[in-house]
Formats: sequence, structure tokens, C-alpha cells
Amino acid sequence: MMLGNLTREIRFLARDRGALFWLALALILSVVAVSFGVAEVRDQRDTIATLVEEDAADRANALEGQEEWGSAAYYAFHLTYAPPSEFAFAAMGQRDSSPWKHRVRMLALEGQIHEADTKNADFGLVGRFDFAFLAASVAPLLLILLLYDLRASERTARRHDLLVATAGASWQLWFPRAFVRMIMLTLLLLLPLWIGALMEGTALSAIGQASFVLVGALLIWWLIVELVSRINASPSILLTSLIGLWLALAIVVPALSKAAIEANNPVPDGGEILLLQRETVNDAWDLPKEATMTPFVEEYPEWREYATIEGPWAWKWYYAFQQVGDQTVAPLVGQYRQARLSRDRQAGLLALLSPTSFVERAFEKLAGTDAAAMIAYEDAVRDFHAELRAFHYPMLIKEEPFDPNVLQRLPAYVPSATGD
Amino acid sequence: MSTISRIAREEWRLWLRSKVVVAAAVIVTVLLATTSILTINRVAEEQSQRLEQQVAAEKTFFAQPDRHPHRMVHYGHYAFRPPPPLAMFEPGVDAVTGQSIFLEGHRQNTAMFADTKAAADLGGFAALTPASLYQILLPLLLIVLGHALFLRERESGTLAVMLAQGQSGTKLALGKALALLSVIAIFMIPLIAVAAYSMSLGESGLAALSLVSGYFVYLCAWGAIVLAASVILKQRSVSLGVLIFAWLFAALIVPRLAINASSAAIDAPGKIESDLVMLAEQRKLGDGHNAADPAFQRLQAEVLEQYGADTIEELPINWRGVVASYSEAELTKLLNGYAENRMNLEASQSRIFDLFGLASPTIAISSASRTLAGTDLATHHRFLRESETLRFNFVQSLNEIHANELDYETDINRNNDAASSQRAQVNSEAWQVLDEFRFGPDPANARVSRASLSLGVLVGWLLIAIGVIFMAARRVRL
Repeated sequence: MMLGNLTREIRFLARDRGALFWLALALILSVVAVSFGVAEVRDQRDTIATLVEEDAADRANALEGQEEWGSAAYYAFHLTYAPPSEFAFAAMGQRDSSPWKHRVRMLALEGQIHEADTKNADFGLVGRFDFAFLAASVAPLLLILLLYDLRASERTARRHDLLVATAGASWQLWFPRAFVRMIMLTLLLLLPLWIGALMEGTALSAIGQASFVLVGALLIWWLIVELVSRINASPSILLTSLIGLWLALAIVVPALSKAAIEANNPVPDGGEILLLQRETVNDAWDLPKEATMTPFVEEYPEWREYATIEGPWAWKWYYAFQQVGDQTVAPLVGQYRQARLSRDRQAGLLALLSPTSFVERAFEKLAGTDAAAMIAYEDAVRDFHAELRAFHYPMLIKEEPFDPNVLQRLPAYVPSATGD
Repeated sequence: MSTISRIAREEWRLWLRSKVVVAAAVIVTVLLATTSILTINRVAEEQSQRLEQQVAAEKTFFAQPDRHPHRMVHYGHYAFRPPPPLAMFEPGVDAVTGQSIFLEGHRQNTAMFADTKAAADLGGFAALTPASLYQILLPLLLIVLGHALFLRERESGTLAVMLAQGQSGTKLALGKALALLSVIAIFMIPLIAVAAYSMSLGESGLAALSLVSGYFVYLCAWGAIVLAASVILKQRSVSLGVLIFAWLFAALIVPRLAINASSAAIDAPGKIESDLVMLAEQRKLGDGHNAADPAFQRLQAEVLEQYGADTIEELPINWRGVVASYSEAELTKLLNGYAENRMNLEASQSRIFDLFGLASPTIAISSASRTLAGTDLATHHRFLRESETLRFNFVQSLNEIHANELDYETDINRNNDAASSQRAQVNSEAWQVLDEFRFGPDPANARVSRASLSLGVLVGWLLIAIGVIFMAARRVRL
């Protein structure tokens, strides 16, 4: 019985030119979103591969002929980067507005890590047409357009009551009709995504969760459409109301949530972090050496016996005040990081009120392109910088004789596995 | 004439009776009001804050104690970009780019701490601005109000009566157009108010007027598209479906596809990438800190000859300052070459984006709007260029002081002991070489001429839609 209903509805759908148009549009948009995404991700990987190579060449060049630990550390830059994950093609997320590559050296990190080597600002402003956007914002509209007038069009054609009467139970009529459209839309959207995932070697769990999220969100929208379209009104009033609901859930609720979250979680002014750090580093030149070495030794008690500086200049003093500059702004930087994290946490909660926000965030999370992933990358840069310091400090501070061979063992940045 | 206005009045009567229409209009009005107030407050706060920061940065620079001049090169300075007055309507790329730059010797830094980096991420539309409401939401309202404007008469059978009474389809369409036009006029009021307010804050009348006209043409173009659909199509739900599709396409899909396309068409290397290429070249120039570098041998010979001296010690000027100044100039030339190249590539990406205005009036208005407000990519690039000039000027002035006011002997012996480094300082009055920096938007006529292509595209959209209405209205039969 059910199967018969379904085949009948598939035949019915095949003759509905309006519905076929929306379904074809869904497929085309999905193909476009996925292929641009895959191309962009490959482009970013190529960029990273080139950078890794040129960075190594530049460092080798910089280290050549160095005669002191201090100058070797001064001139050697190290590339850090966050490669796009295997699912990033579906959601570029924050990668257009937050940096995912830095070149850092042994100087104060806070003067370097806030540099933003991002792309064209228009990209970050307008946003890309990636699969996440298609799934979160456009797919619900397509579903609305496919389903809103199932009942109303039959009413307009004056077949509604007759159809309901012959079908026996009302759901036996409407459910298969809507179900076929829903399934077709979902499949046409997901098929290109799955092909993209095969090409990119995305983990099955990620692609499974993403498909699940999309299906779940579309089910919610289906429920909304179903409830609204029971109202006995003309198709155009139904469509207007549904578009209104879409606006409320896709634009108004996220905008209100964002405004509320940002008002409740102020971030420290970035300019102040920069200013304080620079002032500390620069003032150190004019201060007695102990003013730098005392806070430095508090952080690194193991170097206490080497902390006396004689004469107006020493590399270890230079690096110590770089370190102290970072230490001074650490509380502010911590606040900045905490504020970003708590904004993101609260955004995660309030996203439950809006299916579009939820889907977009879920995709970004799976793709490792959400705010948390960007912060994790910054943490990795901080860890690497700490490694650099741990590597150099013994030689610098004990003022050991320079040995270029030791520099062969310079720590190398290893990107952490993304996407989780 | 009176027939036309009577038709328009009738339309208004029907709208006011429709709960859906009234509700939609009220919601849009409330959204527009709250977003405008929030944005105006935020931008005003940022404006005064940045100006204060700029003044404070200058004060601290001037207040630095006596020092070695090269220390001041590394001490550096900051450039801040306060939002222009019209940013309270159209904040543009400012949120994405970051608005402060640290300026120091031997380096060109990027603008830091973009708002978006610390923003709560709630998806694509969460960053509502008055401009985005005008660009995205108002066309939708026009669709809701107008999709059945003309075909309603057909559905209810009144069209036949009117045509039989000798009314032409064109006249009927004009009446409907007048009704829609009055709606557009009402929704222009908030923008006109913001524009007038921005003029009271010093914005030029030309820019404000062009912005208002641009949005008026944009909304009229949408109104004309809506009316054209309601004349041509015969069913209410079909008309609404077609218009919603047009909106979905023009407002949501094409702008983002245009970004994909311009990003795929032109590969603009990031700063790190071009820096790496540049660093290799820079090494050939020598390091500005080390005056004994072989790359400076030629410079040395030239300068010695110029002053008729045999050794650098005999020079009447400080050789180290000469080297610093020379290498800063060479390095800056190199850095600027790469920076210009990067900015040019980004500008061509934006041109491709603008071309998509031919496929979507929303792209045309958003480009024109950012340009006229002074919050577009080109203005950001000018900020980068001007802050670079500021950087180069103060660094070179300090290098000049280094060369002329600090003795070479004293300079090379500065690290001997505390007293020597004390001697290798110049009086802090020298720090007055720093220029005052106040960044403002381009002059209004420059902005208008830059926006002219997008504005022209908008007018084209309007004319085509009006043409379609007239052709369709003239052929209206039963």
C-alpha cells in the first residue's frame, strides 16, 4: 500500500515542472558549491606546500654564516599553518576571516601572532557559496518552495476534499507526496557532497554526521511547513508566512543572538594588547637590566645563576625582555582568548534556536573551520613558540660557544590533525 | 492622472486591510529601526575611540625620553582608521580588515584585530547592518506587497471591467507603480535620516545624496521587477514563486558565487607568500643593521667620494645613519612593489565581483554602497598606503637625525658602558618629526566616480524592468 503510494507520487512529481525545477536547482547548486570548495581546498594545500618549501630555503639561507645564538634566532623565521581538513571543502568557515598561517621567530610572540595574513576582505565580508551555506540557508527555502502548496494547490484546483475523502486517512495522501519531495531534495543535495567527500578522502564519520545534520534540519523545516500549510489559506499567503518564518529563524534570531552575546562578553581592545606589549619591550631598553631579569627568572627559576647582565648589551637580556613583554600582556591575552571562547560557547547554545546557525556551525565544527579550531591553531603556534624558546634558552642564557650543527635540531612545526 | 492616483489609493486600502502585509511592514520597520540605532551607536563609539587612540599614540611618541634615534625606529608608531560617518549605515569591510596597524622600521605589518576574528559565529546573516537590510530584506517586502499587484485584477475579474471601461493596461500599471513607489518612498525615510545625520557629522552632501539615490534606484528596480512579474504572470502563486526565486538568486546565491568565481579566477598570494619571495631578494640588499655588509661597499665608495673623505670615520656625517637610511629606502621600494602587486590583484578580484552586478542588482548596490560610504576595499588599500607613507616618513626622518646629529665614534662605542650609551642619545625634541595622521574617506567626487559603474548597472536594471512593464502592460488582454 505504502509502496504503491510512493510510486504514484514519484510519477506525480515527474510531471510537476515547478518541483522539478527546484530539485534541479538544488543539484546544480550543490555541484557548484562542492566543486568550488574542493578547488579552494586544493589551492590552499598547494599554497602550504610551496610555503613549507620556501620557508625551509629561507631559514637555511638566514642561518648560513651566523656566528651567534642570538642572531641565529633573530633571523630564522618558522612557518606555522593549519592545513584545511578533509571536510573543509564543505565549510570554509572562519578560514576567510581568521589567519591560518604565520611566520614566527624568537621575538615576543604577541607582536607576531595577531598579524592577519587573510585573503581579500570582500571574501570575508560577503562569504563564500560553500556547501554549509547551501545546506543551512538555501536548502530550507528550496524545501519550502517544494512543499508549501501541496494542500493549497489542490484546494485551489478544488480537488482537495475529494482527494482527502478517497484517500481514506489524510496522512496517506499528504505524507507520501511530501516524503518523496523531501527525499529527492536531500539526495540531490547530498550526492555531490558524497562525491566530494570521496575525492577528498573525508572520514566516514564526518560525512555521516554532516548528512545526519542536514537531514535533521530539513526534517525540522518539513515539520514547520507541514504545520503552517494546514492553515486554510491561499498558497501565496502560506508562502509569505513561511518565508517570514525563514527570515525569523535564519536572520533575525541569529542577529539578535549575536548582538546579545557580544554585548555580554566584551573582548579586550586588541590595540591595548599591542600597545602594552610594545611599551614593555621598548621600555626595557632604558630600564636597569634587573627590571627585566627579575621577572624573567621568576618564570624560569632554573636560570637564576646566569641572570646577571654585565655591560650594556647581551643577547640573553634582549630575549629576556621579549619574553617579559609576552608575560606582561599574558593576562590581557588570556582575557581575549577566554572572551572568544565563551562567545563561541554561547553562540553554540543560542544556535539551537536557529536551524540555519546550527547547521552552519555543525558543518564548520566537522570541517575544523570554526572559531574553536582557529583558537586551537593559535594555541599550537604558542606551543611551538614555547618549544623554540625551550630549544634556544639553554645555549643563549649559558652563553655556550656557537655550534651551527646544533641548529640542525631546531624544532619543526607539525600541524595537528584537523577536523576533530 | 486622477485615475492613476485612484488606482494607487485603492491598492493602499487593500494593503492596510491585509494582516500579512501590515505584519510584514511592521516587522521590517522595527528591524530597520533597531539595527540602525545599534549600528549608529557602535560606529560613533568606535569613531571617538580610534581618534583618541591615534592622538594618544602621537602623544606617547612625542613624550619619549632622550634616546638613540634608531631605538625610536623600532619603538614605532600606530595608525588607526576611524570609521567614516556613513559607516553607521554601511560598515563595509571595516569589520573584516582590522583598523589599526603597528608601524616600525624595516617592516610592513598588517592591520590587526579584526572584529570578525572575535565575533560570535552564528552563520552567514548574523552580522545585520542597516545596509544589508535595505539590500536583502526590503526587496523581499516589495515582493510580498507587490507580487499580485496587477494580476489580482485579473484573478478577481475587475481587469475585464476596467479594460471594457476604456482604461488601458498601461494606465493600470502606472497606478500600481505609483502605489509601490509610495511604499518605497516611505521606506527611504530612515536612510534619508541617517544620510542627513551623517552630513551633520561632516559627510559631504554629494556622497550622502548619491547613496540615497543609489538605494532609491535599487528599490525601484526591484519594484519594477515585481510589477513586471505581476503583469506578465497570470497566477498569484506562480508570480510569488518566480519572484522568490529571483530574490533567492540575486540576494543570496549570486553574491557568494561571485566571491567563489573571483577567488578562483585570480590567485592573489597572501602576504607571507609574497614576503618569502621578497626576503630572498632582500638578502641581496644587505641588512640595514650591519654597516660592514658587502652590499654597502658601493654606497660607501660613493659617499666617501662625495665628502672627499678616505675613511668613514672622517665623514662629517654618521655612516651608520647613512646606511640605515639607504637600506630603509631600498627595502621600502621592494616592500611597496610587492604590496602594490598584492593590492592590485585584490582590486582585480573585486572588479570581477562587481561585474556580477550584471546578474544581480544586489551586488551592484552593495558595491556602490560600500564605495560611497568609504568602507570599500579600495579605501582600506588607501589606508594601507597612507599608513605606509607615514611609516616611511618618520623612519627616514629618524635616520636623518641618526646621520646628522649623532657622532659616528660615539655611536659605535655605545655598547661599551652605561656612560657611552648615555652619550649615544639625541634630545627628545627630535621626536617631533612624526607627522600627525588623521585618516578620512576619499573626497566625495572620487567615491562617486568609483561607484559610477555599479550605479550605472543599477540604472540599467531599472530601465530594463520598466521597459518590460510597458511592453507587457500595452499587450494586456483578457
